[in-house]
Amino acid sequence: MQPGQRTDAFRPVLRGEGNRFDPTARAKPILVFENVHKAYRADAPVLRGMNLEIERGEFVFFTGPSGAGKSTLLRILYAAELVDEGRILFMGRDIGRLTSTSIPFLRRNIGIVFQDFKLVPNWSVLENVAVPLEVLGLPQRLIRSRVGEVLERVGLAGRGPDLAGTLSGGEQQRVAVARAIVGEPALVLADEPTGNLDPQLAVDILGLFEDINDTGVTVIFATHDRSLLDIRPRRVVVLDEGKAHDVPHGLDEVAEADEDSGDQPGVAVRDVA
Amino acid sequence: MTDLQRAWRGGRNDWRLHALSVFSVAVAFVCLASAALVVVNIDGLRARWAQAGRASVFLAAGVDAGRAAEIEQALRATPGVADVRFVSSEEARRDLVGMGDDVLAQLPAEAFPASLEVKVNDDAEGHTLAGIATQLSSLPAVESVETYGVWTDRLAALLAGGVTASALLAIIVFGAVISVVASTIRLALQRRSREVEVLKLVGASDGYVRRPFVIEGAAQGASGAVVAIALLAVFYAIVRSHFQGELATLIGMAPMFLPWSVIAVMVGMGGGLGALAAFTSLRKLLVV
Ligand SMILES: Nc1ncnc2c1ncn2[C@@H]1O[C@H](COP(=O)(O)OP(=O)(O)O)[C@@H](O)[C@H]1O
Ligand SMILES: [Mg+2]
Repeated sequence: MQPGQRTDAFRPVLRGEGNRFDPTARAKPILVFENVHKAYRADAPVLRGMNLEIERGEFVFFTGPSGAGKSTLLRILYAAELVDEGRILFMGRDIGRLTSTSIPFLRRNIGIVFQDFKLVPNWSVLENVAVPLEVLGLPQRLIRSRVGEVLERVGLAGRGPDLAGTLSGGEQQRVAVARAIVGEPALVLADEPTGNLDPQLAVDILGLFEDINDTGVTVIFATHDRSLLDIRPRRVVVLDEGKAHDVPHGLDEVAEADEDSGDQPGVAVRDVA
Repeated sequence: MTDLQRAWRGGRNDWRLHALSVFSVAVAFVCLASAALVVVNIDGLRARWAQAGRASVFLAAGVDAGRAAEIEQALRATPGVADVRFVSSEEARRDLVGMGDDVLAQLPAEAFPASLEVKVNDDAEGHTLAGIATQLSSLPAVESVETYGVWTDRLAALLAGGVTASALLAIIVFGAVISVVASTIRLALQRRSREVEVLKLVGASDGYVRRPFVIEGAAQGASGAVVAIALLAVFYAIVRSHFQGELATLIGMAPMFLPWSVIAVMVGMGGGLGALAAFTSLRKLLVV
């Protein structure tokens, strides 16, 4: 795309059958952050020249203290916030340049899970999970079968007719995960998805995201819960002072990175599991 | 799931809110429909009077039957005249006194002059009657001629006033309908903020989010109008069945209800205004 040109529709690259639109996209990072700045108030910038690349199919933890800007970063990714400076390329397209009419098309390529689940409590589980497909206008039969499959994947087979509000917290989060993946998005964002759950349920939900990642979906999991980072070696990105730093794994490195001001982003060892 | 189904799902969950809105819209529309009912009947009356070209030729006191018959013959021969009937002084007295007013019975014979009741052809023009009237007035045997044109004029003036008043009322009613539906939709949107948030997050377009609310707004406006007209129809039927005779005598014709065209326009206006109200109130609030 030429600079200054604005996309009116976000063409879903690499969805379903794959590289129909851009044959080179598969080899490129799915997300590239270039010198991203963001401030809600001029005197308190949240992101200050953040750079990061995320490859297709990666599982990445975003961590950092409360207020570090994890949620802000995710909100920018699904175009609920605009960056002040810099660009974010999602499958080669600059998210900051999307017109308001093409934002829905971006969101159809991203599944999002929140700490507070964001289910419609007086809708059934089926209705909640079906929303992304309803929006696409798919035929009812296809929607039913897809929703059924996804509910089975998240361990909620047979719970479809129940009202979402009557489910337990862990079950509600599973519904939210099902809704996030039912449209087969290329990217799944999770903003503190385990924040409202007790530790064992948190581990279960994390496992669910790992299963999703195993099917080739890129997952960004934002959490300040350090105990989750150590369960398996994964790529961990720490947001600190408005910048992103890769750390090999776990808490010790995070602590060290905090002290070592000469820390170089990108040189840290990545998860090679 | 179609937009209609989504509107139904939303409306069903908030049915009390919608019922209240429909009721308020109906109250507003009852005023407008009543005004329209009055206007429609005045118009009917005016049309009847304007069409029924007739005149009463009051004869001077002491004119004998022979002279009266001569004038009657002359009138019958006049082009445009359909019928002439002689009403003697006694008949005139009997007609009025027969209505049961004792005071009238006390009046002297001179109070009831003999007259010739002239009916003009329906297709005759207004000035035919006026021409006959002036000619007759000059005859010494004729006391006065009443063409009732002044009544048609008065009714026309009344009608114009009624139409103006109804138009003003319509503006107020439309304003009320818009504000009722707009605030109901705003409330419904608030109650369904989670649903709207979810829709936007999974990539629904603004139009997709808005459409069920616009449908609900249109349904509120249209059902409000329907309820109002139904209420008025019931009221009208009750009044008619109790005072049928009196009403007909009073206004000189059988009263009529709103014609279908007026009903259709009102329901259409209700729906249109409701949709407009919903659409505009969403435009301000639906930004993610
Ligand atoms: N809508 C907003 N308006 C103003 N300030 C905000 C807004 N959202 C977040 N912030 C501020 O931005 C900083 C980063 O917040 P956030 O991204 O939520 O951090 P995290 O998710 O890492 O806890 C915080 O200081 C927060 O107060
Ligand atoms: Mg947060």
